[in-house]
Amino acid sequence: MDLAFTPEEQGFREEIRAWVHASLPAEISHKVHNALRLTRDDQQGWAKILGKKGWLGYGWPKQFGGPGWNAVQKHLFEEECALAGAPRIIPFGPVMVAPVIMAFGNAEQQQRFLPGIGSGEVWWSQGYSEPGAGSDLASVKCRAERVGNKYIVNGQKTWTTLGQYGEWIFCLVRTSNEGKPQTGISFLLIDMKSPGVTVRPIKLLDGEAEVNEVWFDNVEVPAENLIGEENKGWTYAKHLLSHERTNIADVNRSKRELERLKRVAKTEGVWDDMRFRDEIARLEVDVVALEMLVLRVLSAEKSGKNSLDIAGLLKIKGSEIQQRYSELMMLAAGPFSLPFIEEAMEAGWQGDFPGGAVANAPLASTYFNLRKTTIYGGSNEVQRNIVSQFVLG
Amino acid sequence: MDFNFTDEQEQLRDAVRKWVDKGYDFTRRSSIVKAGGFSREAYGQLAELGLTGLYISEDDGGLGMGPVEGMVVMEELGRGMVLEPLAQTLIAGGVLSNYAPQALKSAWLPNMASGESLVVLAWQERKARYDFEKCEAKAVPAQGGWSLSAIKSIVPAGDEADAFIVPAMADGTLALFLVERAAAGVGTRGYVTQDGGRAAEVMLDNAPALLITRDGLAALAHAIDIGIAATCAEAVGVMDKTLAVTVEYMNTRKQFGVAIATFQALRHRVADMKMQLELARSMSYYASLKLNAPAEERRRALARAKYQMGVSMRFVGQQAVQLHGGIGVTDEYIVSHYFKKLTQLEMTFGDTMHHLGEVSARMQDTAGVFA
Repeated sequence: MDLAFTPEEQGFREEIRAWVHASLPAEISHKVHNALRLTRDDQQGWAKILGKKGWLGYGWPKQFGGPGWNAVQKHLFEEECALAGAPRIIPFGPVMVAPVIMAFGNAEQQQRFLPGIGSGEVWWSQGYSEPGAGSDLASVKCRAERVGNKYIVNGQKTWTTLGQYGEWIFCLVRTSNEGKPQTGISFLLIDMKSPGVTVRPIKLLDGEAEVNEVWFDNVEVPAENLIGEENKGWTYAKHLLSHERTNIADVNRSKRELERLKRVAKTEGVWDDMRFRDEIARLEVDVVALEMLVLRVLSAEKSGKNSLDIAGLLKIKGSEIQQRYSELMMLAAGPFSLPFIEEAMEAGWQGDFPGGAVANAPLASTYFNLRKTTIYGGSNEVQRNIVSQFVLG
Repeated sequence: MDFNFTDEQEQLRDAVRKWVDKGYDFTRRSSIVKAGGFSREAYGQLAELGLTGLYISEDDGGLGMGPVEGMVVMEELGRGMVLEPLAQTLIAGGVLSNYAPQALKSAWLPNMASGESLVVLAWQERKARYDFEKCEAKAVPAQGGWSLSAIKSIVPAGDEADAFIVPAMADGTLALFLVERAAAGVGTRGYVTQDGGRAAEVMLDNAPALLITRDGLAALAHAIDIGIAATCAEAVGVMDKTLAVTVEYMNTRKQFGVAIATFQALRHRVADMKMQLELARSMSYYASLKLNAPAEERRRALARAKYQMGVSMRFVGQQAVQLHGGIGVTDEYIVSHYFKKLTQLEMTFGDTMHHLGEVSARMQDTAGVFA
């Protein structure tokens, strides 16, 4: 048992750190460190820089052009990126659909889709949730009917994150109504420029349009875009959900944000208020405990052991922590988090922010935005069902 | 970064678990509680397993092992709610090995390793609660050593131990001393504690004492951190069993015609208990792996660990009783004993609020395990 990373792992970390510091544009990290609005170009610009280095698909094996890193190396990469203030890698392409294409796609699909995902050139979206299929994902209704060498897709997807930028979308579609709901689902890749696809942004409580509705009206999709076999999509989707378990805990970002919370608390004069400081101290322990949990899962994965009974806890705790730091940051600013001045969330805004500190401008919006974390990716209540299944049978 | 146990550590775990399962079942434990909360015979069996010499060097007759082995052993003893205070022996072994002059080491360590002598830490005072820097005990030079006057509270197995490690003020600074229970001027008043174990008030009236170290603050802080790490591991063992017993009960107990394990409100509570258990286990690893770190780093880490432990123990203990329903509040059934053990461990070496204050006071600008 050893808490320290090995000298090799430390060396790896140094290499990543040096590269990220040299490669991450300062104006992007400034925005991330201050929770300012990121443009599509910011997000994709960083993705392309990573892509050029071969690290956008940082979880990919070597045979598909990835670096072939183990679980610990992937974690160190994520950590160095997060601490340096890099934007989150938009996961839908490199982290979510790519492993499915690698595991279940044919050689032609792999050659056709993986290069664009790995380079960051093609923006992918996820078409899973529907108005009637949230936690109960297997009840998707969006229909794909096989006609000759095409599928005709009709229906609606929703909560499609950054779908307004999407060029391709991977969808769970219903190809059969027979048997259990899970058995009639297929995994289909759809070009979002196809006629009949409509994307409508949904304005959220923070004023931003982070998610979208995507409508399909007699959309023609070549049958060669089907991944694997028809009606086996649920299996592929589950493979996707089991991938990258520690990623969803996002502990590295929470470490960075806890440091920011301490700075905000000092600026706003609540650091020396014991009642407030104790709340930060509780969060500090939560973050350490979550990080230890993540390291335990990584250690188990590195040595080929099953860690499923604790991996399910990561999403619950990780999301609760994200909500808590954003809540405390807002409370640290108190009334000065209340002015809703959208321009103040743009980098370089020169206006006069009420109460003084322009750093307070995005605090409430971030708090509102992060309510999503206990809802998405399988709500925390669904996660508790899964954990209790492991414990109680 | 590696959280696997070595084969030797797994063998140690198996040996202790076997003894706990066969040699220290609930019936034997109950009879020890009835007889006053401490059994010299059971303590001797811990010694036969070599556990009393865990932190004592091989030269002095011990096993010369480290914090991870200490954690493995304490976790297993926790599973059996073993009353004999091995954590005290780990503390005494660690303190004497690191801080005592050679003569004192030679006089005590081999006998402690063999189980012949039990040495415990007598540090708590009425007015100081958990703040070990507040100390009213006084030591003055006397012929052949020192003369010590103090009243120390809630000393584990205080009327059974052979000697005490006692912090006292000497020439204006805190120093650590060794006092034999059989010496003149030593009085004890024993009693049972809420977990069924044994403790005592220790009254020292000009009792003869030997100096362990003048650097009492550093040594006592270290002693308490050894105690915290041991308590964390013990707590994980108790919680592990508590959850297992609760799960078994929920799958057996029927209401409304079905096992109560089928009810979602209860299942989610179990998920939350599992969360608290695994956060606690993670922080117990953290505590033990930081036990040999430089003092400031060690103290910050151990405070974090004990805070998490307190939160987890209270939740797991209270919910285990709740999920058992009426049987959970009886003396006959084991779960109330786990609950009381967890409650007592929360208040051992600093409770949750105390350690929250420690974490709060020691916070830095950085965050995380490696900060």
